[in-house]
Amino acid sequence: MDLRKKQNEDVNVIKRRSPLQKHLRRYWQLYAMMILPIIYFIVFKYLPMFGNVLAFRRYRPGMGPFGTEWVGFKYFKMFLKDPAFWRAFRNTLTISLMNLIINFPIPIIFAILLNEVRRLRFKKLVQTVSYMPRFISTVVVIAILGELLSPSTGLLNIFLQNVFGMEPIYFMNEPEYFRWLYVLTDTWQFTGWTAIIYLAAITGINSDLFEAAQIDGANRFQQIINVTIPSILPTIMVMLILNVGHMLSLGFEKVLLMYTPSNSQVSDIIDTLVYRTGLANQNYSYATAIGLFSGIIGVILVTSSNSLSKKLTGDGIY
Amino acid sequence: MKRYRTKGNLIFDGIVYLIMILVLLTCLVPFIYMFALSLSDPKAIVNNQVSLFPVGFNFEAYKQIFTYPNFFKAYGNTIFYTIVGTIISLAMTTLFAYPLSKGFLKGHKFVMKLVVFSMFFSGGLIPNYLMISNLHLTGTRWAMLLPFAINQFNLIILINFFKSLPVEIEEAAFIDGLSYFGVLTKIVVPLSKAALATVGLYTAVFFWNDWFNGLIYLDTSQFPVMLFLRNIVNGTTMVGDAAGSADKATIGISIKSAVIITSTLPIIILYPFLQKYFVKGLTVGSVKG
Repeated sequence: MDLRKKQNEDVNVIKRRSPLQKHLRRYWQLYAMMILPIIYFIVFKYLPMFGNVLAFRRYRPGMGPFGTEWVGFKYFKMFLKDPAFWRAFRNTLTISLMNLIINFPIPIIFAILLNEVRRLRFKKLVQTVSYMPRFISTVVVIAILGELLSPSTGLLNIFLQNVFGMEPIYFMNEPEYFRWLYVLTDTWQFTGWTAIIYLAAITGINSDLFEAAQIDGANRFQQIINVTIPSILPTIMVMLILNVGHMLSLGFEKVLLMYTPSNSQVSDIIDTLVYRTGLANQNYSYATAIGLFSGIIGVILVTSSNSLSKKLTGDGIY
Repeated sequence: MKRYRTKGNLIFDGIVYLIMILVLLTCLVPFIYMFALSLSDPKAIVNNQVSLFPVGFNFEAYKQIFTYPNFFKAYGNTIFYTIVGTIISLAMTTLFAYPLSKGFLKGHKFVMKLVVFSMFFSGGLIPNYLMISNLHLTGTRWAMLLPFAINQFNLIILINFFKSLPVEIEEAAFIDGLSYFGVLTKIVVPLSKAALATVGLYTAVFFWNDWFNGLIYLDTSQFPVMLFLRNIVNGTTMVGDAAGSADKATIGISIKSAVIITSTLPIIILYPFLQKYFVKGLTVGSVKG
């Protein structure tokens, strides 16, 4: 507030300058700080965003990233007739839905159960270890997965062979396992991290509620059902809505790492299709059109789910 | 608490602890298995004798990978990208976050809107790629660094943190004759060490783990270690043939595991000491704007 007062005093001292000049004179350094970052945002965020016009223009090598002449919706009509696009679209939806159904509730359950651990050091240990995988590179995750599931030497196949006498299974190659592997590696990597948000919500619950429940004779399980879950329901709702909003943004790098020609039937998602048609086959305009299409669906999903979350709970992320 | 030691609650406790131990094991076993493979005799691996403990304990695989010039080069590259990328990113993000934490600047709202919008909608793979190759960054190390100078989530974490700093300290500094640049470097940055550490860690982990940008923008000699690993895994780069052995594939497994361990080790080792900073971003900077 003192700043304002000083500003007013200055008004009395230098009367001839316009308010804008005085503002700039006082704060020019703050504006100067922003110059580089703003140039960065223009060059690396906004110019590529406008680069999406390439979806409506023909690309000629060496003639700039924005294409040479307008072709209208040609590329959109093309991909809408392309079975490969629809396959990728279906795969994206299927994996996203599976991911949501499985990986949305698991962190909630984990957080609730972790909160029931009374030994604080053990609780801290489990929590710390559980979110470590979040910081491991996807390359490493998939490399470890490959070793664990290797048909000849992998731990899982040895186990299945020794205990159930099963033949080795080529988990990484056979299409029927792909989705499960995608979803379960996500479970492994992100359960602990996502649970932090729910744990914070649980910590915020008024302890009087638990005491009252105990006096009423509720056992631990009943306390979870009647106190914990209702108390964190707003958080769960916000997270659900946001998860739906981000549903289509699958881990492109992970899919790309797990992609093999033999599982392509189920593993080709929109992002990998864009990658292959764009960067591998250099159909830049066509790939941009597909990317733009899914990008726009993504924006619509995120913004509508966010405003829905704000309307329902008065809380959104942005 | 005593009277809650009923039979039902004890069973409940038992189940909870059992699940937690399973969670612990699930998180740790993959790494233990990798350690075991990397330290085992290749013959024991093919004979399926190795599970969680090394069989025929030896450091052969590690000795091997340290003779690969490409591995050293890639490891060095990753260290370079991580250090330089994090420094650039911290500088740029701080330079942007500090003015944006001052609501009275003209155009402040508009700039914030543009920042948030760029979180929802981006150029996408192809336009980004064409922009970077048009700037002639392809095939240079800058392609790994410059495009990722500012992450919007980290920016918002810092903005929120700067907003929470008491204004009085800054005002005192102005009376002492400091300019805004002086206040930023001498007052605000030292006060924000915790927040900067959190953002810096996220950034460092991002650069350490990045491989895809290396794949599309860089030449082989500039590859980061994660891309080197990926190429070993999918067979683009052959390993295990250095010894001229007949069974390349089996030596390959322990070498692959050794590469996995060495390329993840910095994170695994630093993690227990730094984990409090890792979590801070989620709680301090609860993203709101």
